[in-house]
Amino acid sequence: MTSHTHRSKIPQLVFSLQTLALFLLGSCSRIDHKQSALDPKGLVAQNQYDIFMLSVWITIFLFCAVGGCLLFVLWKYRAKSKEEAMEIPEQMHGSSKIETTLIIASAVILVILAVPTLQGVVLMNRVPDPNDQATLEKLKLDKSQIEDAITVNVTGKRFFWVFEYPQYGIVTANELVFPASKAVRVNLRTEDVIHSFWLPKLAGKMDLMPGQENFLWFIADEQKIRSGIDKDGNPYEVDAKTAMPSVFDGKMRQTIFAKQAFTDEFEAVGGLFYGQCAEYCGNSHAYMSFRALAQTDEDFEKWVLKFRNAQNPNLQPTAYSAENTYEEGTVVTYTDEQLGENNRREFRALKATAKGQTPVTKPDVWEKVHSDDYEKGKILFGTQGCAQCHAINKTGIGAKGPNLTLFGLRTSLAAGWMRNDEDSLDKWLRNSNEIKFGNLMWNGEGIDDRHPLRQLQDDDEKVSQLVTYLLGLK
Amino acid sequence: MAIESIKYASPETESKLETKAFPRPGQHASGIVDWLTTIDHKKIGLMYGLAALFFLIVGGIEALLIRSQLWSHNMEVLTNRQYNQMFTMHGTTMVFLVIMPLSAAFFNFFMPLQIGARDVAFPRMNTLSLWCFIAGGIILNLSWFFTGGSPAIGWFGYAPLTDPRFTEVIGDMGPDFWIFSLQILGIASLLASFNFITTIINMRAPGMTMMRLPVFTWMTLVVSFLLILALPAIAIALAELMFDRSYGTNFFDFLEGGKPHLWQHLFWIFGHPEVYILILPAMGIVSEVIPVFSRKPLFGYGLVVFSGALIGFMGFAVWSHHMFTTGMGVVATSAFSILTMLIAIPTGVKIFNWIGTMWGGRIRFDTPMLFALGFITMFMIGGFTGIMHSSVPIDAQHQDTYFVVAHFHYVLIGGALFGLFCGFYFWLPKITGRMMNEKLGKFVFTLMFLGFNLTFFPMHYLGMIGQPRRTHSYNEGHGFEAWNQIATVGSFILGIGVFIGVVQFIHSFYSKKLKPAGKNPWDARSLEWTLSSPVKDYNFARTPIIKARDQAWENNHGEKDNHSEKQPLDDHGVHMPDRSWCPLVTAFGLFVMAIGLLFHQSIDASGELARDYTIAIAGGVIFVVGVIMWAIEGPRGYHLFPKENEE
Repeated sequence: MTSHTHRSKIPQLVFSLQTLALFLLGSCSRIDHKQSALDPKGLVAQNQYDIFMLSVWITIFLFCAVGGCLLFVLWKYRAKSKEEAMEIPEQMHGSSKIETTLIIASAVILVILAVPTLQGVVLMNRVPDPNDQATLEKLKLDKSQIEDAITVNVTGKRFFWVFEYPQYGIVTANELVFPASKAVRVNLRTEDVIHSFWLPKLAGKMDLMPGQENFLWFIADEQKIRSGIDKDGNPYEVDAKTAMPSVFDGKMRQTIFAKQAFTDEFEAVGGLFYGQCAEYCGNSHAYMSFRALAQTDEDFEKWVLKFRNAQNPNLQPTAYSAENTYEEGTVVTYTDEQLGENNRREFRALKATAKGQTPVTKPDVWEKVHSDDYEKGKILFGTQGCAQCHAINKTGIGAKGPNLTLFGLRTSLAAGWMRNDEDSLDKWLRNSNEIKFGNLMWNGEGIDDRHPLRQLQDDDEKVSQLVTYLLGLK
Repeated sequence: MAIESIKYASPETESKLETKAFPRPGQHASGIVDWLTTIDHKKIGLMYGLAALFFLIVGGIEALLIRSQLWSHNMEVLTNRQYNQMFTMHGTTMVFLVIMPLSAAFFNFFMPLQIGARDVAFPRMNTLSLWCFIAGGIILNLSWFFTGGSPAIGWFGYAPLTDPRFTEVIGDMGPDFWIFSLQILGIASLLASFNFITTIINMRAPGMTMMRLPVFTWMTLVVSFLLILALPAIAIALAELMFDRSYGTNFFDFLEGGKPHLWQHLFWIFGHPEVYILILPAMGIVSEVIPVFSRKPLFGYGLVVFSGALIGFMGFAVWSHHMFTTGMGVVATSAFSILTMLIAIPTGVKIFNWIGTMWGGRIRFDTPMLFALGFITMFMIGGFTGIMHSSVPIDAQHQDTYFVVAHFHYVLIGGALFGLFCGFYFWLPKITGRMMNEKLGKFVFTLMFLGFNLTFFPMHYLGMIGQPRRTHSYNEGHGFEAWNQIATVGSFILGIGVFIGVVQFIHSFYSKKLKPAGKNPWDARSLEWTLSSPVKDYNFARTPIIKARDQAWENNHGEKDNHSEKQPLDDHGVHMPDRSWCPLVTAFGLFVMAIGLLFHQSIDASGELARDYTIAIAGGVIFVVGVIMWAIEGPRGYHLFPKENEE
């Protein structure tokens, strides 16, 4: 027979686990992490959180009950001496009464969880009927919030996100701008492998399955976006404009960047949400993140308008024609020798022009719309092969890389990975492989050491012109 | 011919009827030949166990590399592809090459001893199962050395990521190695399962009724049924995937109407019962250990057995809970959600009964008992988080995050691996005949228990604050660093604990210093403890006649009526079947066939795809020859005449 001197370790060990659990729960009180499901800011995520917390309390209760019972048994019936360890207790084989009671009790506990679960399934899968007053009241929603819902078609690509707004005919990438007061229907599609759209604070997740259109919906809670808990643990509340700076005029960017570090971004702005691909989709799966930016109704409309104009083929500047007269404010393109042969520059008419008054012959009537660096960057964008993958001021989701329309208004770069400022963009253009190893801009099909992109590394001038151009898109 | 030779072969001399083509090693074979040709269930069990422990170290190193990469944001210990290969290989290795074969090792070694049999029903098939397992393990790990390296598709290999259209390395062979390895491992499991079922149904000693079977043997039976019902699903899926990859068929590629959903359904129809295949053996072991160290019979034996079978049965009805976020619609998700919650009931029953067993007992805290108690507490936590995931709205946040990683490691390490280590500490004295050092055992338990909780408990929180799984890197500013560092430190403590444990197991085979175990060092209850340690080749000199459920206990402490009796030894003694090369040759044929199919494609000089099946056909021929020789050589054997008490 072996020795039994070390017998009392186990209760201590079990206890240490519970201590660990309490310690962890205690430190969870600060839940302002960017991508935290513990800090829901919308109806659907709140429902998921509530059911989760219900399940946490149920299981803590069960763990304490069963674990406590186990500890009691271990303590009470431990063999206190070698002699006792050799005793033969009563050889009892079971009790059907106890068993039945426990089985029924477990079933009852499961029902407590099952009911909200089924309600939650329905909520996740169906946007409430705007005519169903009872449900809307229960969910504390206005009829208009549902009726004016916006639709976003999300397409997952390796390794970025395409956001298409079919109601407005616009396409953007990696940053989903949405009105905080409206329900958002999200249709999920993929063009390659399976991805998963995960927006923890608003909606949970849903997979993007090839050959199938999936769906989720969310609606933000403006009250929750405006309030939060600061670093010292004190609750605060700000007004809507502070919590949701406007995107269309770059205020969102400025507010976020005003904070010193990338890591402080969340604390600055309640309307900034982080999301990420949650289904393994290949080498760069970890890098496939995105952002969602909540806006007031008014700001959202302005953003939409700006985007529509940018992507409207009829509103793009046309080539100057000597046969035409132009009204004040019209933008045309005209050959500018300064930029090199056959390169065109954008000019804006300062007043109404007569036929034949070209920007060269009448420089007092026309002004340059952009700086030289911007125009040179724009040319480089075409000549360095960028335009083969990235669309600017065009819709369509067929391009290999993210659509860069109004790139200068975006808060983030490289699928939500970096802050979209001069420094980061400079680094990214010089050697994106150092930042996101294996990314397809550097390593994709047809890109090798002869590709102009890979020559940018030491070309300060070209990089700075490209940065000026890209960040000037606003 | 074969039967004749059994009857009349001279017991003391080796058989003279050896076929010339296939000389069979006889009674006195030793060394490497003995191990390569053995058909003894105990040696096969040992080899299963040792190989699995080796793969445990391999998979553990992969895990530690993963944890090192996640130490802080934007680490560069591994590149993204290497990291993806690591988690794929870690998962596949731990499931198919560690937990399953460790369970098989215990099934092999102890199930026949527990039912009073001299071997399994088909001893040579058992050997074939072993060599198929080894071949599968080798094929999977060969992938490191060929184009593309190891698979980077996840252990679940979701289509269409496995389609050549989406490969990220041209000519990537990793997924092909993965396919063939899993197919051959599947064959190994099927062979073993049919063997165990036949053995348990047909070869129980007289008086060993089904309701007197030890719970571990019951779980062997349930798991074997699960395997033969679940494996065909993945075999079909893998065959379809092989055709998609090698022959341009279109089961899963959506471009031409294939369905990625099909893969997920087939995979999880296998994959969920697989979860119970991994955990039920550990539950069986714990159900053996707790009564022994409480000195009481298992509380509610019938219910424990029934709940085990019910878990197995219901395991086939819940697979889609792995797919709650794939867009199955309201009805399907609700139905699978409720079914999944129901499975918590039979699982809870087991925990109640283990506590009931300890109630009123005389509890000793030896190492096996510590691991059993660790199992109960850890498995409880894993079970609770499982209940959370059964709720669809919760799963919508948890799916594919570290919360899920925490959940299934609580079940598979805190559950299955702790259960299996419990088995090692409990049964190794029976295998080696030596007691292991208790202090060291407790030290290993402490390291493993602390390291494990330190590693995986913080992952619950990490998942909740937004860290997705299978990501090789995370960005700064999410607040993930501190918790990941705790987890990484914990994983190294766990790794050291496991390593010391494995060294201790191996050491106990060689060390002469350790105390001899004797027949029944724990005063244990089931039939194997009536035999000497280590167990003799023939197990039982005379077949026992069983009178009670806990026969060893009854013999020592029970009434006279319940003592077992023995059948008389008849005049031709104990028949021992001969060793055989055929299983090894047959498995080798399968191995060559797989290698031939893996490398059958090449690009010829004109840039055309050429297919060359020579090696595959050669492998097929070896396989067929092996089977034919197997049939011709027959069992044959020799006879031993042990004295009455030599067992």
